[in-house]
Amino acid sequence: MGSEFVFVLEQVANGLLLGFYYLLIALGLSIIFSLGGIVNLAHGAMYAVGAYLMVFVAQHASYGVAFVASPLIVALLGMAIERLFLRRFYRADPALGLLFTFGLAMVVEQGLRMTFGASPLQFAIPDFARGMLSAGDFMYPTYRAGVLGVALAALAATWWLLHRTPFGKVVRAGINDPDMVRALGISLAPVLTAVCGIGIGLAGLAGALLAPITGVHPAMGQEILTAAFVVVVIGGLGSFWGVVVAAMLVGVIRGLTAYFYPPASEASLYLLMLIILLVRPRGLMGERMERLE
Amino acid sequence: MARRELQILAALAAGLVVLPAVLLWGGLTYTTAVECVLLAMAGLGLNVLLGQTGLVSFGHGAWFGIGAYAVGIFQLRYFPDSAVVPLLLALAFVIAGAVLIGALVLRRRGVYFSLLTLAFSALCFTVAFRWTALTGGENGMGGIERRSVLGLSLDDSLNFYAGVALVGFVVAAFLLRLAGSPFGQVLAAIRENETRARFLGYPVRRYKLLAFVISAGVTGLAGGLSVLNHRIASAESLSVVFSGELLAIVLIGGMRSYAGPIFGALFFVLFREYLSMYTENWLLYFGLVFVGFILFTPQGLAGIGRRLWRLAVPERERAAAMAQRTVPAEPAPFPDFLQDGEGSALECAGVGKRFGGIAAVDEVSLRVAAPGVHVLIGPNGAGKTSLFNLLSGMFAPDHGSVRFGGRELAGASPSTVCTAGVARSFQITNLFKGLTVYDNLRLAVMARDPHRYSLLRRVDTLGQTAARTGELIRYLGVQGMEQAGAEDLSYGGQRLVDMGLAIGTAPRLLLLDEPLAGLAAAERDRIGKLIRHIGDHIGVLLVEHDVDRVFAIGDRITVMNQGRVLLEGGADEVRGDARVREIYIGSGSQALASRVHPAQVSQELALRVSGIEAYYGKSHILSGIGFGAHRGEVVAVLGRNGAGKSTLLKSLIGLARLGAGEIEIAGQRVRVPVPEAMARLGIAFVPQGRRLFPGLTVRDNLMLGRLRRRGRNGEAWSDERIFEVFPRLRERQDVNAELLSGGEQQMVAIARALAGHVRVLLLDEPFEGLSPAMTEEVFNAILRLKGQVTILIVDHNLDLTLALSDTAVVLDRGRISHHGPALPLLQDLALRREKLWV
Repeated sequence: MGSEFVFVLEQVANGLLLGFYYLLIALGLSIIFSLGGIVNLAHGAMYAVGAYLMVFVAQHASYGVAFVASPLIVALLGMAIERLFLRRFYRADPALGLLFTFGLAMVVEQGLRMTFGASPLQFAIPDFARGMLSAGDFMYPTYRAGVLGVALAALAATWWLLHRTPFGKVVRAGINDPDMVRALGISLAPVLTAVCGIGIGLAGLAGALLAPITGVHPAMGQEILTAAFVVVVIGGLGSFWGVVVAAMLVGVIRGLTAYFYPPASEASLYLLMLIILLVRPRGLMGERMERLE
Repeated sequence: MARRELQILAALAAGLVVLPAVLLWGGLTYTTAVECVLLAMAGLGLNVLLGQTGLVSFGHGAWFGIGAYAVGIFQLRYFPDSAVVPLLLALAFVIAGAVLIGALVLRRRGVYFSLLTLAFSALCFTVAFRWTALTGGENGMGGIERRSVLGLSLDDSLNFYAGVALVGFVVAAFLLRLAGSPFGQVLAAIRENETRARFLGYPVRRYKLLAFVISAGVTGLAGGLSVLNHRIASAESLSVVFSGELLAIVLIGGMRSYAGPIFGALFFVLFREYLSMYTENWLLYFGLVFVGFILFTPQGLAGIGRRLWRLAVPERERAAAMAQRTVPAEPAPFPDFLQDGEGSALECAGVGKRFGGIAAVDEVSLRVAAPGVHVLIGPNGAGKTSLFNLLSGMFAPDHGSVRFGGRELAGASPSTVCTAGVARSFQITNLFKGLTVYDNLRLAVMARDPHRYSLLRRVDTLGQTAARTGELIRYLGVQGMEQAGAEDLSYGGQRLVDMGLAIGTAPRLLLLDEPLAGLAAAERDRIGKLIRHIGDHIGVLLVEHDVDRVFAIGDRITVMNQGRVLLEGGADEVRGDARVREIYIGSGSQALASRVHPAQVSQELALRVSGIEAYYGKSHILSGIGFGAHRGEVVAVLGRNGAGKSTLLKSLIGLARLGAGEIEIAGQRVRVPVPEAMARLGIAFVPQGRRLFPGLTVRDNLMLGRLRRRGRNGEAWSDERIFEVFPRLRERQDVNAELLSGGEQQMVAIARALAGHVRVLLLDEPFEGLSPAMTEEVFNAILRLKGQVTILIVDHNLDLTLALSDTAVVLDRGRISHHGPALPLLQDLALRREKLWV
């Protein structure tokens, strides 16, 4: 294999990794958006909470405990937020829901700053995951491969949950026609709580996984949030595979531009979102949701 | 200048004078005072979009930052000795940018608009941060000087404050006048009900763009002044955090009040200055305050202030809004400003529209003469509302033409159609709910006023509009209630105002969509007379189900059925025509009647309702409904459109609001039916339009039907039992629901209802939209269910429905007019005519 080809392959792999990282966050955002109609602007902040919890718990217990505990705690927080606050905004003026989650993001970020300080925290890759994996000339860091693996597993689990379990079918029916679901005797309130728990939990998992790679600082949530929205908007609401394809696309584009022309890499994302929203607001594969227009 | 305006401006001026003194006394500086003024200005700018127009902009900090950087760049590179010139240039730059970005971003609405502003803001931040050569990157752009103006040095803090305060005052005065201008009124209309604003003829996009540009310009100006204040521009002002602070300032101060952002800015600055002395986490506490306000007082400080004021100074009772109405004995004379519509006929030729595979409107040709009242009638699904929507510009027809006054209107936008002279009212009341009756009607009238784009006049000074609005109020008979909020009116009052909105635009042709729906008898009378009176002057086309009245007031009547025109003629001609009768009450064909077998109806009641008063929104649809259904009985609920049949079924499943009354089922008495609970008690609902879940298979749909409805004394149907009645579904279990044919979908919908615990099966229009072959299959399936399940069935195909039923309950205008065995109605057409026709 030519070394240039290997090099590009590495960049694409990094791009895909980035894509999975976006996917974990975008997926939860998309489900919450589709079912509850709420744009959760605090999603990025919850991702940050996942990362911080990881650092904190790992300091006091082992990496393994931290890895399991952080996403779970974030998921529970997500359910509490839905139950206590988001519920009030489902039928209210959408502007208020938007403003609320925006304010919540602000509060969480400042809370993290207060608790952990404003400067970035270092979090080392755990010993068992250091080193490189190799396949011929192609070398890839073990930890990143591990992250990819976990992300794939989470994705598969979410897919299975949404498409093969009764719960998932209730969610998909509820996205489309909530009144009819209620007329079948199925109460949607606990479903919404669970969906928020899962969606926000996935964001927490992403934070826990990426803590060693991206570094941990209070504003990390903001950066990831816009990227996540770009993915959701491009992929389209109500479409599982749409979000997957969009995440991969965005990840690879971001990865490649970050390498070849770094100053434009972030900007390219926003431009992409602007273009997609103007030309095809439904996204690649999404449904038209009139209540959001 | 109105008195109230002067009062506000005087208070503002006084505040600006006093502010620095107060802050200095509190240990703060002139710089802080300037910042306070500038944040208030930025907040006022944002509020033009947020509070006035209802557009949530997350990226307003971007304009502030762009203004700041622009001043910095213009001064440092081109005009180092001046502050005023860079400021003016920066303002021009911001305005130009806002026109471009606004034109792009405003193409989307709601959440998508907000996300676009977020993306735009993030983009600006990245550019500022990364394009170091232009903006200084992370370090910001320093070295900016205040210089002097008219010989006075702005480096002197007091001078600078005075300058900023002056600019702030002028901007605030401008925005105050804007709020009270015709332009401001239209912004409020767009916020309350954008669609209706379009249908009144306002070019909504232009208004939104201008609001966007003004909003960005004001905020950008504040940013430019801010960079002179601090002498440095940094990317912070472009950050999401700053945009958040601006939003918080507006919300906490009060979005719906003009001065809200001013209070918000003051609150923010004081909060920050004083709290940061105690803790560096003041932003956290501020965020908590912000969130607290959203949860508990979204009206903000201004809202709190208003409530306190109302406690101190109790308001005159507005409750009896309708009681104050002075109803005149005779209808007022026809207002002068409503043009006579001589010679403006509406001609529609060969118009067609398909939705999916179904032709909602099929080659319809119609001529509405002017003046005159032309009525469009027909059974459910005949295509009347679709035709209406095509004529008024809601959809474009697939083919055909619609000519009015020499112009082709097919495919034109709603506002174009309205300015051409064709106005419409809506079946579901479509008002500007947050505004008063007077404001509502004035908006309609103002749509024709040449000053409707004015930013600088006061809307009260539009003499012509004021006079015409007064005439309209007298004509409609709503004097005495003008100051009531549209939301507080009774249903009848709202329908009247809805019609008034259409009339106010001085149309030459009026389209009225079910104007009498849901009204009490006295109101029907009044509005019917009003329509007749209007019809003497201009052309009126109305869709109506109250057939008695239609024949009384209509000059010409067009009958539609299944998307086509069946017949057109005068009242007597149509009333006597056998075909028309047939589409409404069926033909009594013998073949089906012979299949009727007497059913085993037990004496035990499966369902009993008493004293039901049901509502659809504010419309009182059902009144004093009481009857029972025995186990195994099939009850047909019949009546003309709008009688309340569907609403009755919906209230049994908890999807319509019950004002009073009781439903007794399974030994339980329910007064406030909730869908989940009613379903579990055994109400199995098969809705109009099937409403299967797309993307899920037949099996999945059945599973969902069964999931939470197992029932204690399980009367749930097993799959086997279901497939015996619907053999077709056995082979189609793994097919996605949306891929099935209409008939198969109907079967799945019924099966889904049967899959769970079923005490009473509700069938709402099961035969709608089915081919003859499928209709027969579904009919046979329901016939198999007869005797095994208690059924309530609503369908406008009377032959089939009566053949299936044991009993018939006839509803007329919300009350039961007949309750007896179905067989006589099936067999005796004369009886059917008596109970169900005119």
